[in-house]
Amino acid sequence: MNIRTHKFYAIVTLIACGFASQAYAQGKACIELKTTAEVEKEVINDKGEKSKVLVPAGKVVPGTEVVWTVTANNVCKQASDKVTINNPVPEHMTLVANSAIGAGSQISYSLDGKSFAPAGQLTVQENGVTRPARADEYKHIRWEFKNALAPGASAFARFRAVLN
Amino acid sequence: MQSARHLVAVGIVSLFGMWVHEARAVGVPAGTNINNTAQVTYTVGSVSATATSNTSTVTVAEILDVVVTLQTPSMPVIAGATQQELLYRVTNTGNGPESFRLQMTSVLSGDEFDPVAAAPSIYFDTDASGDLSPGDTPYVVGSNDPVLSADAFVTILVVNDIPAGVADGNRGFSRLLADARTGVGAPGTAYAGQGANGTDAVVGTTGADGEVTGEYLVAGIAVNAVKSQVVADQFGGTRPVPGARINYTIVVGATGSGSALAAVFADDIPANTTYVAGTLRLNSVALSDAVDADAGDFSTTPNAHVSVQLGALTQASGSQTIQFAVTIN
Repeated sequence: MNIRTHKFYAIVTLIACGFASQAYAQGKACIELKTTAEVEKEVINDKGEKSKVLVPAGKVVPGTEVVWTVTANNVCKQASDKVTINNPVPEHMTLVANSAIGAGSQISYSLDGKSFAPAGQLTVQENGVTRPARADEYKHIRWEFKNALAPGASAFARFRAVLN
Repeated sequence: MQSARHLVAVGIVSLFGMWVHEARAVGVPAGTNINNTAQVTYTVGSVSATATSNTSTVTVAEILDVVVTLQTPSMPVIAGATQQELLYRVTNTGNGPESFRLQMTSVLSGDEFDPVAAAPSIYFDTDASGDLSPGDTPYVVGSNDPVLSADAFVTILVVNDIPAGVADGNRGFSRLLADARTGVGAPGTAYAGQGANGTDAVVGTTGADGEVTGEYLVAGIAVNAVKSQVVADQFGGTRPVPGARINYTIVVGATGSGSALAAVFADDIPANTTYVAGTLRLNSVALSDAVDADAGDFSTTPNAHVSVQLGALTQASGSQTIQFAVTIN
């Protein structure tokens, strides 16, 4: 082994490291995203007190309110920044007004999936007149989390929608 | 031949109105899958990335709902009449296809007589005529239960005989009931796996059954009118060309035991024709067009029509013949 060979190895290693870190960010996702559908169910405890719990929504009838929860979990050793969750209101469902929540996030809505604005700032054209869009016309929800998501931490977004 | 447009015998013979209660199904069709997939964008260092969630699915269960509506508010009948029908509509207001069992009963309280169920007593209005006719198919429970898709309806005839001894003004009730074959119960009752496409079936707000009560009203007398026409053109022929004259003859008769008080015959002048002044006649006696002492008049409000006061009509009165003429514009 001579000196030239050593240099060559070093270069190869550097290149390999560069590729690896890029591949890590692009290929293996740092955030694992999970969505669940639940419905509220009233339960009565042994003291006779009523409370509501969320149970998985399997089969639901029209008119049922479904609670959709999206959880973003950072599985990397680095923090993830500018975490933004997008969720269309599912087909055949109507968003419940003011039901979207997500701690530490700014929530905006869209009618077309392109332009987003906070609640109350979207408008629609109807018979030549511009009016504020109603919550039941919102078709997309966006949560923009203000703080970076630390390794191992989870961000949480939720909305309710009624089956048409 | 065509029947006269209006025949009003005030107080005894009620014209029946038709009303349609709009029953609409609600909801996404049973068995539909509702999917949700979220997306996240973020940056790690200077690298931005996107990830997609699992797809979470809920399946739309079947709601069992049915509404029965009456299409004949009150059916005038005479004592002893047979095969008298009431018209109902059974609508599937659920969100999936469902078959319904039909039942009728005429033994009900609150009325003066019980109609006697004919055999068979429930028919499909197969020919959509709105009355019992030879083309209508009898309903046989469990054999030809109507299968209705969401929102669909079927028109049903309930057929009764009227007892001989009933008096004028008496009412007899008859009821049609429909229930979902999958099951009935309190709203929310679930039938696991028994809905459309193997999903669950859940009883809706109607309890998955419906019923409505119809009424026969003994009118004592039935008044009918038969209208005929003869065309005479200005060239001596019978072609209905502009300028041709149409001579109408309406024969009004009463059958039954009672009397139709203050019967009034009214007939609109047909569109695109003009009434020929001075042509109104009752039993060949000319009636002036003015509203005056004689029984008939021609009036243009609210629309052009002739009317003739027939007074109290009984079967013994015999036929009343009304004539008038129009020209084609």
